Amino acid sequence: MHPFTYTRASDVPEAIAAGRRGGRYIAGGTTLVDLMREGVERPETVVDISGLPLRDVVATERGGLRIGALVTMAEAAAHPKVRALFPVVSEALELSASAQLRNMASIGGNIMQRTRCPYFRDPTAACNKRDPGAGCAARGGFNRGHAILGASDSCVATHCSDVAVAFAALEATVRLLGPDGRRQVPIAEFLLRPKTSPDREHDIGDGELITAIELPALPRPLQSGYLKVRDRQSYEFALTSAAVALHVHGGVIRTAKVAAGGVGTVPWKLPAVEEHLVGERPSQSLWATAAAKSADGASPLQHNRFKVELLKRTVERQLRIVGGTE
Amino acid sequence: MSPQPQAAVGAPLSRVDGRLKVTGEARYAAEHDVDGAAHAVLVDASIGRGRITAVDTRAALAHPGVLRVLHHGNAPRLPYRANSGSNNPPGRRLRVLQDDLVRFHGQPVAVVIATTLEAAQHGARLVKVRYDAEQPSTDLAEGEPGKPETYARGDAEAALRDAAVRLDLSYRLARNHHNPMEPHATIARWDGGSLTVWDKTQWVVGTQQELAAVFGLAKDAVRVISPFVGGGFGSGLRCWPHTVAAALAARVAERPVKVVLSRRQMYAGTGFRPAYDYRLRLGSDRRGRLKGAIHAIDGETSSYETFTEGIMTAGQTLYSLAAVRQAYRTVSLDVNTPVWMRGPGFASASFVLETAMDELADRLGLDPIELRRRNEPDEDESNGHRFSTRRLRECCTVGAREFGWESRPLQPRSRREGDWLIGMGMAAGVYDPGRMPAKARARLDADGTAVVEAASSDMGPGTYTAQTQVAADALGLTMRTVTFRLGDSLYPPTPAHGGSMTMASVGSAVLDACDQIRRQAIELAVADRESPLHGADAEDVVVRAGRLHLRSDSARGETYRSLLGRNDRAHLSADGSYAGPPDSERLTVHAYNATFAEVAVDATLGLVRVRRMLGVYDAGRIISSKLAESQAIGGMVGGIGTALMEHTITDHRDGRIVNANLADYLVPVNADVPEVKALYLEGNDPDADPLGVKGLGEVVQVGVAPAIANAVFNATGRRVRELPITIEALLQN
Repeated sequence: MHPFTYTRASDVPEAIAAGRRGGRYIAGGTTLVDLMREGVERPETVVDISGLPLRDVVATERGGLRIGALVTMAEAAAHPKVRALFPVVSEALELSASAQLRNMASIGGNIMQRTRCPYFRDPTAACNKRDPGAGCAARGGFNRGHAILGASDSCVATHCSDVAVAFAALEATVRLLGPDGRRQVPIAEFLLRPKTSPDREHDIGDGELITAIELPALPRPLQSGYLKVRDRQSYEFALTSAAVALHVHGGVIRTAKVAAGGVGTVPWKLPAVEEHLVGERPSQSLWATAAAKSADGASPLQHNRFKVELLKRTVERQLRIVGGTE
Repeated sequence: MSPQPQAAVGAPLSRVDGRLKVTGEARYAAEHDVDGAAHAVLVDASIGRGRITAVDTRAALAHPGVLRVLHHGNAPRLPYRANSGSNNPPGRRLRVLQDDLVRFHGQPVAVVIATTLEAAQHGARLVKVRYDAEQPSTDLAEGEPGKPETYARGDAEAALRDAAVRLDLSYRLARNHHNPMEPHATIARWDGGSLTVWDKTQWVVGTQQELAAVFGLAKDAVRVISPFVGGGFGSGLRCWPHTVAAALAARVAERPVKVVLSRRQMYAGTGFRPAYDYRLRLGSDRRGRLKGAIHAIDGETSSYETFTEGIMTAGQTLYSLAAVRQAYRTVSLDVNTPVWMRGPGFASASFVLETAMDELADRLGLDPIELRRRNEPDEDESNGHRFSTRRLRECCTVGAREFGWESRPLQPRSRREGDWLIGMGMAAGVYDPGRMPAKARARLDADGTAVVEAASSDMGPGTYTAQTQVAADALGLTMRTVTFRLGDSLYPPTPAHGGSMTMASVGSAVLDACDQIRRQAIELAVADRESPLHGADAEDVVVRAGRLHLRSDSARGETYRSLLGRNDRAHLSADGSYAGPPDSERLTVHAYNATFAEVAVDATLGLVRVRRMLGVYDAGRIISSKLAESQAIGGMVGGIGTALMEHTITDHRDGRIVNANLADYLVPVNADVPEVKALYLEGNDPDADPLGVKGLGEVVQVGVAPAIANAVFNATGRRVRELPITIEALLQN
């Protein structure tokens, strides 16, 4: 491991100051330490923020939820308000990682986690994300797990968080605090597509700290859930996944929030599917025609062509599970 | 001598070393406390083939704590005497840091020695190696096959031509890696001209012999110690480059050196189950009687060694067939050399044979079990030998009854529960367990306790426990008064701990040593005027719980303690041996199973879930029923991995293994393992060896993958001839 300095921030301003000086934040350490061991991440200074008071889950005035950045995945998944209001978030978390990792990893860190692309994680392979300008070994290499949506010539790696897919579906907001004060950024804008600079993954400045994720108020009743398709039943990243939330009133879908995971360079919001659903009555054929739009614009690679069809089937299945077929 | 009552053997005992393992007191290779040990980390080649043109060690040497950096340019030249033992395949074995050639991606090209692990790890990253890279050849389908190993009986072409039903099937089996929990590790220490090595190995004797050959030493100058092995599945059957590197580093650094492979390094640093391309042509008559089979088998090997395994045997012996032709070619690739992995050869062959039999049964409209019954051989048709015991039909019958085989869907894709298609499948398994010469020694002390020693190994099957059981019954002692020691080349030599040969071979030597001691004690007693057994017929004396007594009158007797004490004997001792099967033996000793699986396949998403499995085994006498069950569960879990997940992926552009970690190389997790049940047929195989065991560690993984694949076919109507069976293969429903 590259030698580094470890400091512990005792309050938020101290953390921000340390971050501004180039320190990398560490909370649960479940991603960063792995990558440091592999020689992928080589921070000079690591700033431990795990003691900061960002561990609350609070209801917002309008009926949303604010989840502190340092709430662990396990705590967030089990939180009664999360379970009651946004089952899709609980389910996405519980289908992630392992119990041990969920006990360590924080919500803020989860959306910051870096890709599982094996070429990114192997310092001897070419990777623009790790080493800008080095090339992308995955595009012409083994790319079964890679993105079919949102890729560029320079990068085809997926964003591998599950809960970020739920956040994308729900149109969550990332709350940031930095040297220049507070900011709120929609998650769709916070997580960046690779384009020509895949090393730049987030809209976050030096010293900026995620303080919370805010889930917006949505019309109630809201049915929601998360489906994850993978090669083994636990402890694996998604080949495809779907986060769905539906508000049905008077037999008609009034609100539809849908996003897909495992397929995009960022959690993939599916507005065409949502638009197709709104104003319609739930039915098996509606699910199928809506889901048929979920892979629009996909450009698969050599080993992941199957994801195009699998994605449509995953979304269709999850629409049915959440929306029923009456 | 009178047969001993069986008390420990057969009992469902817990592991004698269980407490040590769960309390962390069992010392694994990297955990031995060797004074003054430095740490070494290997630097791996980042090209797949070519030459090293320069090694820049300046930055590494400048890093605090780094002591030395060894590479081909400065490492001492080693004798590397020829050694056809130690499980070295034919060829020229990899010579660690002896030349500038890179033969595969990940080959060790330098070793960084440092005072701390962290310094060594960072130092390894600071070594800059320059290469003249060439295009490696790592794709089995593209490589140039070597001269085939062939087998033929009858006229297979003619038999196939005349067969009423013909199948022509092509299979692809993925490369698998063992991935034991414990990483491979070695600590090496030189004391003058002698070398001591604490190693993760399944064969201390083989590693001893190889290190002696590599360093040009007498065998006795090398000691290999390996009391605990945290899983092996075959990966510990050879002495790998890192073990040589540790010894080399210790010699140069003039202090003990520890090397622990990272998980990533395990993929190129040890062996693997080779990938196969396998074409099978099979013909039968309309009643399902097999007529002919032609096997064309291509398997991976390295550019420097020719690894072969028993992939041909099952096709020659499992079913009655007048005409068989086989050609087995190895394809020399720029990869490291494969090694045996659980059920070696047989597990791969069984996937092909047993899914083909299922296809044939489906074509003929026959119950797959009935098809197998119709092709039951009376003898080993490859050589005319008698089978010692062959109870495959009984395995099938018992399995069918216990699993509820008659309730299976008769038509593929005919049972559905919601989104899930349900199917059942079965397969037969066979393995040719080894029986090799082995030695053991035993000592009975005057306090009535005994110590038994054999080099051997315990990679997890429970050698400690099972050998203690054999010794305890032969000596007439309780389990608690017998200590079995293993994993040290100072102990009497034994064969490799693999190939299902430990129980038969080491166990028979242990039995011999302990029988001798019991005989000595009985003879001492009947000749001793002061013994209550004086004058008794030695044939009428048995020993129970440390007390000798007449079989016909248990009141008449005395303890070992009183006998040895009165006779001023500090101990009785004996060297035991097992010679292996006689050359003249005209006998085929095979272990068998019938494995049953029920799967659910998501009709639209292609997910496969194994719902339950049953294995029924003909493995001869079972020494420890509890450990045997654990073995079977492990074998079935391994088979789920082979069937549905395990796949070492190589990027053929540069020979890099892409998924060399446990997040991307998938093995089953608990959620993937359903209700798994094992049944062993009662009985023994008296012709096999003195214990009547046939060995079970390998056969339990044979037949598992095809049982699952056949169940997938029964569920979906889709035949997948490529392993692992993936979602994308089933998505085309």
